[in-house]
Amino acid sequence: MNLHKLSSRLCPTATQKFRHLHIPSSGQQLEAVALETASAEPNPLSVFRTSEQDPTYHSEGHTGQYYMLPPAHIQKLFPYGLPPRFQLQIKTFNEGCVMVRPPALELISYLKRADYSKPPLRYVLHGDIGTGKTMSLCHVLHYCYTQGWLIVHIPDAHLWIKNCKELLPSSSRPSRFDQPIQASQWLKNFKITNERFLSKLKTTQRYVWTKRESTKKGQPLGELIDQGVNRMKSSSDVVGAVLRELRLQAGGTTEGEGAFKLTVAVDGVNALWGKTSLKKEDRTMCEPEELTLIHNLRKMMKNNWSGGAILTALSQTGSVFKPRSAYLPNELLGEEGFDSMEPFVPVSVSNYNEKEFESCYLYYLDRSWLQHPHSRSEEGKKELIFLCNKNPSILERLCAAL
Amino acid sequence: MAAYITHPALSSLCKINCNINAIYSLISFSRRISISSVLSTSAVTTESEAAGQGVRGQRRSKRQAGEPRTERMTVDQDWTAVYPTAASFKPSTVPLPVRMGYPVKRGVPPAKKGNLELIKIPNFLHLTPVAIKKHCEALKQFCTEWPSALDSDEKCMKHFPIQVQSKEFVSAGLSLKNPDARIVTLKVKLSSLNLDDHARKKMIKLGEERYCKDTDTLTITTDSCPLRQQNYDYAMYLLTVLYHESWKTEAWEQEKTRADMEEYEWEDSPSQKNVLDTLLRMRPLGAKDEVEELLGQPAVQEYRDTMLRLKNEGETEENLHKYKEAVKKLFNI
Repeated sequence: MNLHKLSSRLCPTATQKFRHLHIPSSGQQLEAVALETASAEPNPLSVFRTSEQDPTYHSEGHTGQYYMLPPAHIQKLFPYGLPPRFQLQIKTFNEGCVMVRPPALELISYLKRADYSKPPLRYVLHGDIGTGKTMSLCHVLHYCYTQGWLIVHIPDAHLWIKNCKELLPSSSRPSRFDQPIQASQWLKNFKITNERFLSKLKTTQRYVWTKRESTKKGQPLGELIDQGVNRMKSSSDVVGAVLRELRLQAGGTTEGEGAFKLTVAVDGVNALWGKTSLKKEDRTMCEPEELTLIHNLRKMMKNNWSGGAILTALSQTGSVFKPRSAYLPNELLGEEGFDSMEPFVPVSVSNYNEKEFESCYLYYLDRSWLQHPHSRSEEGKKELIFLCNKNPSILERLCAAL
Repeated sequence: MAAYITHPALSSLCKINCNINAIYSLISFSRRISISSVLSTSAVTTESEAAGQGVRGQRRSKRQAGEPRTERMTVDQDWTAVYPTAASFKPSTVPLPVRMGYPVKRGVPPAKKGNLELIKIPNFLHLTPVAIKKHCEALKQFCTEWPSALDSDEKCMKHFPIQVQSKEFVSAGLSLKNPDARIVTLKVKLSSLNLDDHARKKMIKLGEERYCKDTDTLTITTDSCPLRQQNYDYAMYLLTVLYHESWKTEAWEQEKTRADMEEYEWEDSPSQKNVLDTLLRMRPLGAKDEVEELLGQPAVQEYRDTMLRLKNEGETEENLHKYKEAVKKLFNI
């Protein structure tokens, strides 16, 4: 144990060599490994890491291994996108490491093979609570980011249907309600993530916000977003306008600067078709349809545009009025949601298997997260397996207490 | 206190002489001696008996109980002679070493001799298989023969699909009658009735909770009339009315919506529209309308099958997996 810590302190994290623990297709991979690990001495405890930081090159050989998210990417891509506990973990460990797992690899392979002149395919990540749907979604988003796509990321759609302090009647349409705080926050995050596209894309029509303010045709998108951030009252409508522009322009022109691929990533997509916990002024419940943000987001979910992909993940954790045991798409999305999302590709996310658990355990050991002396022994490990049933989030919470 | 049998001569003796104190004391003294010489019980019991006799006056002599009947029973005896009718449990008559009761102080349940628990409970010692066989033999002369053609359950169900059940009650109380005897239950399988698709669905809707989907049985229970005969007639009437009504089609049945449908149908569903839209967007149609052709593709048919399975059977991991395969094939991933 001590030897290992010494070695990890000596060699910088990024250049740690990786070795495959299990031997699925033995011959070829061992040869590849032998070539790459020529210089380093075999270090069995660093098996759980890989130096491959670009998700484009992740393959089945990398399953179960942690790769590090470059800090610059984290700041840009995920200002609020990562799960809160993972953000705490990043702060504690001083690095953000994500495990490569089969569902994410599957999604990435679909994205690589998809045809982007056709309508976008919808992928729904589903699974029991705490199995890693949000993390897999973030992994795939990182891939999209490295590929240079434009990312529309809604970290948790449930935040938009509950606990809203301000609910204003919409300025443009009388029957709808605006959520200025959520909308302006999202616009800020969107700006941070997609800085480089904002000057290139132009609006296609004139938008009138109030009697005195309007955005002319042909203005860069950045101006539109600034308008929304500065003027809170019309921020929800700005969100709608931005989404509309992106829909119209995604994958449209193949030559020139305007070409980009759009990925729409929504976590907690079942919020769009469920019930809200917001009340209108006359004390009746608000339908999701009546919220501007939700209405515009639903339009994005339809596949009547082309040149991108729609990645979603279901979530029971933040949802309102849904039983805790529900995790299948039909239960969480409801009739309406299922009909709207259809046809989609369901991708199942499950608990860790042996190898992944091993990897997670070694990672925590490596980061000195497991302080209890008993946790280092074989028995301690078996106890951990028994207690958490290899569920990623429960394991993380257990280890936090050790 | 062990019970003792009063000797008739001695009892008459004590009755005659009870008023004369002196002679009474003499006689009681002599009786005490005679009893003690005959009985070989413990001194304590003799003492207590004597004290009791001394206090209470007339006392019947205690006769020792003979050996129980169980000692003399053979293994192949006729049990119906021992318990011909329903009777309470008699420990001396039942040759079984039965124990019943709460074991006090980590002991064993008490034995059968003098066990009130065994006497309290009802027993069926009078209804052993042998006894029942004898009953049947006796009743046979009043029965007619079972029709030889109905030798299996399926044939019975085929010829007599309606099953009528009612209960008989025998009570020995102030009144012999039991009001629950008027309830009649009528069970019939819908597959044995002549119904077409629409009639079957309508019958199930009319029957509401009286229809059991797993066994395909319609159960009608009637208890509104005071007599069983009336209830039976009413149940038959209900069945007839249901049957005839389900064959009729009313004008307002045209307004049946998707929400009223019992099963999920893929034709005209939002799912079909979605798939069609997506396929059309992927490959715009030519001049001729080829919607049927598009829908007739094997990939689309497979998608339809998986959707039907998902919606009708409920959602399971397996069904979801098959749905995923179908979607992948549809979009050539």
